[in-house]
Amino acid sequence: MRALLKIAHGIDALSNFLGKVATLLVLVVVAVGFYNVAARYLGRFIGRQLSSNVFIEIQWYIYSVIFFLSFPYILLHDVNVRVDFLYTKWSPQRRAWVDLIGTIIFIIPFCIMGMYVTVNPVLASWGKLPGGGWGTWEMSPDPGGLPRAPIKTLIIVAFAALLLQAIAQVIKYIAILTGHHEVEDELREEATGHELVA
Amino acid sequence: MGFEWLAIAMFVGFLLIMLTGFPVAFSFAGSAIVFGLVGLSLDAFDLNLLRLLPNRWFGTMSDFTLLAIPYFIFLGAILERSGLAEELLEAIGVLLGPLRGGMALAVIIVGTLLAATTGVVAATVIMMGMMSLPVMLRNGYDKKVAAGSIIASGTLAQLIPPSLVLVVLADQIGVSVGDLFLGALIPGLMLAGSYMLYIVFIAITQPKKVPALPKEMRTLSGGALFRRVMKAVVPPLLLIFAVLGSIFFGIATPTEAGAVGSVGALILAAMNKRLSWENLYGAANSTARITGLVLMIIFCSSFFAVVFDGLGGKTFITLLLTGIPGGVLGFMIVSNIAVFFLGMFLEFIEIVYIVLPLFVPAAKALGIDPVWFGVVMAINLQIAFISPPVGFSLFYLQSVAPPEMKTSEIHRSAFPFMALQVVVLALVLAFPQTVSWLVNAAVK
Repeated sequence: MRALLKIAHGIDALSNFLGKVATLLVLVVVAVGFYNVAARYLGRFIGRQLSSNVFIEIQWYIYSVIFFLSFPYILLHDVNVRVDFLYTKWSPQRRAWVDLIGTIIFIIPFCIMGMYVTVNPVLASWGKLPGGGWGTWEMSPDPGGLPRAPIKTLIIVAFAALLLQAIAQVIKYIAILTGHHEVEDELREEATGHELVA
Repeated sequence: MGFEWLAIAMFVGFLLIMLTGFPVAFSFAGSAIVFGLVGLSLDAFDLNLLRLLPNRWFGTMSDFTLLAIPYFIFLGAILERSGLAEELLEAIGVLLGPLRGGMALAVIIVGTLLAATTGVVAATVIMMGMMSLPVMLRNGYDKKVAAGSIIASGTLAQLIPPSLVLVVLADQIGVSVGDLFLGALIPGLMLAGSYMLYIVFIAITQPKKVPALPKEMRTLSGGALFRRVMKAVVPPLLLIFAVLGSIFFGIATPTEAGAVGSVGALILAAMNKRLSWENLYGAANSTARITGLVLMIIFCSSFFAVVFDGLGGKTFITLLLTGIPGGVLGFMIVSNIAVFFLGMFLEFIEIVYIVLPLFVPAAKALGIDPVWFGVVMAINLQIAFISPPVGFSLFYLQSVAPPEMKTSEIHRSAFPFMALQVVVLALVLAFPQTVSWLVNAAVK
């Protein structure tokens, strides 16, 4: 169990790192969003094209990176919306059972399904032709836009990271059920999703 | 055809998973996994339909409407840390406190102003609960009036634009966020106005419940008081006009207005000397978390929808709902009653992603104005926020209320305000112009 918990904590560290990157990117996306509006009006004023499709598209690219990197991070920190009027009354053991079973039969298959259905569209986006062989990669339909393939690939990366974190959570739930009570505090440290969302 | 029962079972299965307290997002995904597999084994579900999913997900990523989410959350998170709300409450409290009912009116005015700058109910209710509730109770306010005005006006944050509820509603209903923002503004102000009228009514008929604060509370007077109030009120008003004005006059899309508003909030925070790295990082971190959470729910609910539609669930429900006797009126009554009761147990994000997908196709089939429908739902969700036993605004106030305030008193304090919300809901149902007027007046 100790060795497994060590692996789980390693995965936690990775997810925390991704969460930190996502946090810093929020500041970038605010700056880019403001630049796009300012450039449009300033550009009109001085009669020059300051904004471009690159900046318009980079805005939603960064936004996508933010939420994809947050997926494992919010699973780790239990930033979830739960209907919790039963859940909060249960013992830590019982909650661990619910979370353990749910993670194994719902979250992990969901991650695998997510990767499975996106592999082919992503490969196609990188230029894989239906008959085998490779063509050019998919570009934005707008002039001067960005290539689509990397951002689409990120879906697979996000599901893989979420899968890893789900495995780490499974280890922690089992630890609680086998009497490692110190893990309980680790799991319930954060504000609930409700408090953040509303 | 013939497998609608499986779609219904899927929906019930989803509710059961959710009731165990399993996260809502993964309850969607889980029920879709289980019933997708059952459907496959019965030949009721075509595996090829899952190929729709990546395209839906790509669509979500590049959706310019949803891109507004991080901006408005960041705007709110920065303002929450800027000290602006506290200053506003203090200044207006000093101004109105010495009047009968004045403290309650100050709470409602501040709640409305904050609602128009941000969309964060928790922050507003907690801040006003910590600052105003003790003052009101110490000076002999009726506990229920004091608590109710904080809960109700703090909750306005999710109806008066900009708000997260309206952004996700717009996404689900398929209307522009700008239209929904403008459509919700007048009903939001109607609610705020009805709360204030109620306080004035109490001040006249039962003055003991809302006593004036002693004159000594007014530490400033004349010019000094005026300057203090202006200093507190003008910055948020400027921000409101910048964000809502640029949407109204067609200068910027809601997403762009959110980006500009975020920078405006940063400037206000800097002027208050609250723009530390901790505050900046903290605001960015909660933005990343909430954005991730909302998008996770959207990703999972697309999966749910693909399986549910694949089993014929959507067609079945639409048929059922459009068959309600009474046409548009019958449908609006049934959908509102459903949301009202679900709102006692579920929160807005569940309702928006669980219940609305069932109602929206029927609303469209009946030719109902989608913006009006969205605003009506948003008002109904206001009731969900403050209705016992699971209204989240109640929990927020409970977490900061002084010990002499009983939970049952907080719960009962919500009832008069819920009644006012029902009245405004009925008015908006009866007079769709309350929604459409501003939408049509806006520069397109």
